[in-house]
Amino acid sequence: MIDHLFRHQYGKMVSILTRIFGLTHLETIEDAVQDTFIKAMTAWRNGLPDNPEAWLTKAAKNRAIDLFRKLNTDKNRLPKLEQGIAAIALNDLFLDTEIADSQLRMIFTACHPILNPKDQLSFALKTVSGFSAKEIASALLLKEETVKKRLMRARKNITEKAISFQIPQGNDLPDRLSRVLEVLYLIFNEGFHSNKKEILIRHDLCGEAIRLCKMLLKNQFTRTPAAYALFALMCFHSARLDSKINEANEIIDLKNQDRKKWYFPLIKLGNEAMNQAVETAVFTSYHFEAAIAVEHLKAPTFEATNWTKILSWYEKLYQIQPSPFNLLNRAMVQLQRSEYKEAFKLLEQINPKDLEQRAYLFHGSYAEYFVLTGKVKKALKSIDTALNLVRNEAERQFLLKKKYDITNNLN
Amino acid sequence: MKKFMLIFVGTNYGELGLSPEEMQSQMGKWFEWQGKMEAAGVVEGGHALESNMRRISGPERTVTDLTAAEVKEIVGGYYIVKAADFDGAAKIAEDYPDYHLGGTVEIREVMVFEQ
Repeated sequence: MIDHLFRHQYGKMVSILTRIFGLTHLETIEDAVQDTFIKAMTAWRNGLPDNPEAWLTKAAKNRAIDLFRKLNTDKNRLPKLEQGIAAIALNDLFLDTEIADSQLRMIFTACHPILNPKDQLSFALKTVSGFSAKEIASALLLKEETVKKRLMRARKNITEKAISFQIPQGNDLPDRLSRVLEVLYLIFNEGFHSNKKEILIRHDLCGEAIRLCKMLLKNQFTRTPAAYALFALMCFHSARLDSKINEANEIIDLKNQDRKKWYFPLIKLGNEAMNQAVETAVFTSYHFEAAIAVEHLKAPTFEATNWTKILSWYEKLYQIQPSPFNLLNRAMVQLQRSEYKEAFKLLEQINPKDLEQRAYLFHGSYAEYFVLTGKVKKALKSIDTALNLVRNEAERQFLLKKKYDITNNLN
Repeated sequence: MKKFMLIFVGTNYGELGLSPEEMQSQMGKWFEWQGKMEAAGVVEGGHALESNMRRISGPERTVTDLTAAEVKEIVGGYYIVKAADFDGAAKIAEDYPDYHLGGTVEIREVMVFEQ
């Protein structure tokens, strides 16, 4: 059977049924879909149907009919059908193009501005991607209770504010789409930067972000340069996913990664998207981040990295997105170019508090600076500060190793 | 060869809050087990059972309809397998996929009447 069939089918079924019955019935719909899977899981034990996907789609149709009956028995709960639905035959909603349309509607709902930004991620992973609260908690390093609260709050908001289940049009679209891209970017980064022991979770989050972005690229209204650039960026990063961590779950920095392990088909896919992304003169932060990622991928060895080009991309990125992380990255590039004074100047501009839970990166970078300029004592002090702040075990191990290397002059 | 019934008792799947991904992976394990038993030629038959049930009890033949949510444990299915003895049947039951979900296998020998 296809990997993740259930998970993907869950998102599809919930989206189609929501399009038919409206967002007010989301909870009933999710329960109904969950039931269908329990049934499939038990009934298929002794043998798969010839076409599991078709079976599930048919089951979704039957669910729709059941729900009509169920909601009709109680007059108050009579489904207020979404506009225009009555005119479309039920069967038509199960055509591939309509399914894709329904799923896009769900993605835009999940990223609707009435939702708390924190709730958007959890809600998207639940309704669009079919993750359970437990899986979301584990993927986003949250408590399961927190996730459940967020999901409940999101559902409540959606019902109370009676938002319609639509892909925004006209002037609303650019802003709404830009938030969708942001949410996908966040989901991807949670996967890419997560150092959870379960490699699967990292792959799942990155894979989901890419899959959802691909959906945007299939629709003529959401197929924007920014969406292409984000897709490219995610492909480029994903190509390195397996080389980032070794079997012992230790972080391997770019310098020491086995470049032969980088996954070429994804790089190719990213390149194709990048070509589409630069067809207009609109450049977003995703464009520059993708350009930086490409420079790293182009270099046959770490030493052969074109730092000059990377630095210029970082400068362009900083102009449209002046974040302390960009300053930090630029400082690290300057260090690679042995431009210690310039690096120091950049580091001086950063207030580590702005980096929030990633403040340890700042002190780690300072340590690097001190090592390179021969100030071992100061380097060790910075490493210790970083160690005090770091919460992630794999990152902690990475810093400890660094400390060991500095102490023993192994750099 | 004797025949044994493996009876699967546990929490109803609906109550466990499994994610679609977990359900798919769980189903895969059941396939594997079924495939293994078929390859070894030990399985005679079996079924998964729906979770809703009707209970009839007492001389008055009192009828109660129950949903899975109302009972703590429920028989979810069974297999009839061939094995030399209990140990052989237990060996087969080792691969039952639901132990980590709180499931239990009860092994009962099928009674044979001498002709």
